[in-house]
Amino acid sequence: MSSPSSETRPSGHPVLVVESVAKHFGGIKAVDGVSLNVESGEVVGVIGPNGSGKSTLFSLASGGQKPDKGSVKINGTDVTGWPTWKVARSGISRTFQIPSLFTNMSVRDNLLAAAVEGDWRGARKRMNDTLDMLEISHVVDNLASELSGGQQKLVEFGRICMRDPKVVLLDEVTAGVHPNIRKIILSAIQRLRETGITFLIIEHDMEMVKEICDRMIVMDQGKIVAEGSFESIANDRNVQQAYLGHS
Amino acid sequence: MASEPVQVRKIVVRALVIIACIVALSVLPAFVDSYTLRIATGALMWAGLACAWNIVGGYAGYISFGHSAFFGIGAYTTAILMQSGIGASFFTTLLPAILLSIAVAIAIGFPTMRLRGAYFAIATWAFAEMLLQLATVLDITGGTAGLSLPAYLNEFFFYYTMLVTAAASFIGVWWLIDRSRFGFRIKALRDDEPAAESLGIRTNLIKVQAFALSAAITALFGSIYAYWTTYIDPHSVMGPQITDQMVVMVLLGGLGTVWGPALGGVLLWVTNRYIWSTFGDTVVYLPILGVIIALVVLFLPNGLISLLVGRRRGRELIAKILSKF
Repeated sequence: MSSPSSETRPSGHPVLVVESVAKHFGGIKAVDGVSLNVESGEVVGVIGPNGSGKSTLFSLASGGQKPDKGSVKINGTDVTGWPTWKVARSGISRTFQIPSLFTNMSVRDNLLAAAVEGDWRGARKRMNDTLDMLEISHVVDNLASELSGGQQKLVEFGRICMRDPKVVLLDEVTAGVHPNIRKIILSAIQRLRETGITFLIIEHDMEMVKEICDRMIVMDQGKIVAEGSFESIANDRNVQQAYLGHS
Repeated sequence: MASEPVQVRKIVVRALVIIACIVALSVLPAFVDSYTLRIATGALMWAGLACAWNIVGGYAGYISFGHSAFFGIGAYTTAILMQSGIGASFFTTLLPAILLSIAVAIAIGFPTMRLRGAYFAIATWAFAEMLLQLATVLDITGGTAGLSLPAYLNEFFFYYTMLVTAAASFIGVWWLIDRSRFGFRIKALRDDEPAAESLGIRTNLIKVQAFALSAAITALFGSIYAYWTTYIDPHSVMGPQITDQMVVMVLLGGLGTVWGPALGGVLLWVTNRYIWSTFGDTVVYLPILGVIIALVVLFLPNGLISLLVGRRRGRELIAKILSKF
């Protein structure tokens, strides 16, 4: 898959709008006046060196942290300062850099727990579909703590499938996983985007970013330093400086 | 999916075991003397209290040291309403006891359940200590002299009242935690609160609901206990030893499990009474209890229930012991 098909192209309707958000931790500017618009059905890659503010940006967008200034809108609704659960109910779903599974619960219960605030009646059918899609039916009764790292990433991704999100934030979802699992995740992202779900993906795997993203955002020192297609980003001087160091 | 029948079988087996237990306990009074019946009544009460504490401590993961306050609220509500000036019947005092405990749990729960770990434990302990001190100085509670209730000398009545309350609590909690959305919410927040919130679960509200439910069941047992013993004072119904017993019973039986708290409650209470009847005091009980706790923590961190159902460590331990013979 080298480019999105016509049915999966962005709709032009902004589903996530971040305006001038900033977050400081003491004297460190983790996110410094970032703005971005993501359209419905888009897959946007967010890259940048470690400590550039990518995960903090996700945290601000999903309500995990409150921005010091700026605003976040989901589907036109200003969700700035809302508690995480309320932002989640407005249609945003996320994974974490280190999978945050419910370790004392089975895979089945992890998936069902993701559906409790949504379509509960259809949860079991959706769970079975998710298990099949992610090829983890054989571990459905295992405790989450008994899974391998790759399987944990799949279950965390599965929790997103159990909800009905408008925007999904994936934080290094394929980092350190077996190529087969990477393939399963990529295929699942593709299937979900065909249903109109928007993705923002933090990723260090450039091959994956190139393969799946419509466009990219590059962050460095809390700011967006470049934005555009993979090809334009690859030749951007700011990006080279961000990764190789400022002279 | 292959494992659906396993789930159904698990529910059926559990339901059958519950029915068998209830039937056995229902006919128990026909076969035992009055003293044993009194011990069984106490065992049912402690099993129910342990189940109630387990909602907050085991399923939500918040170790409360304030549950004696709710036991006391139930006991005092019943005692006060049954005083000659008001003269309410026992059963009409139960609803006010439950409602008052829920109101107090909500008022205490919203600020304290934002705390975690030791901070929550200390806050709830301080709350219970505050109510204990209040009960010793207020006129309405009879101060340190306590209150007497009208005596109803019918051991069968109290046995069956405890049995119905314990069974209803057990089945209700099992259903709520194992089969309802509430159970998924509460177990999710126990394991990872930020992740639960990111799924849209309103964790603060769920925690307070769990606290209120746990408080209501505890207060209900407090009400029955007051009528059963016919006399209460602040230390007998609000002393820290009540919470301590609940915590130890749950830890011994199996924290966050369905059967563990009931098992721990029954075993510990029967052990307590056996030692009391053998040695004539309860001082010996504490060192023996200490040894039991140390052994369980070392060899069965999932509690005694892991010897009986499904927990791998328990099965491994049994296999290890048997292999020596």
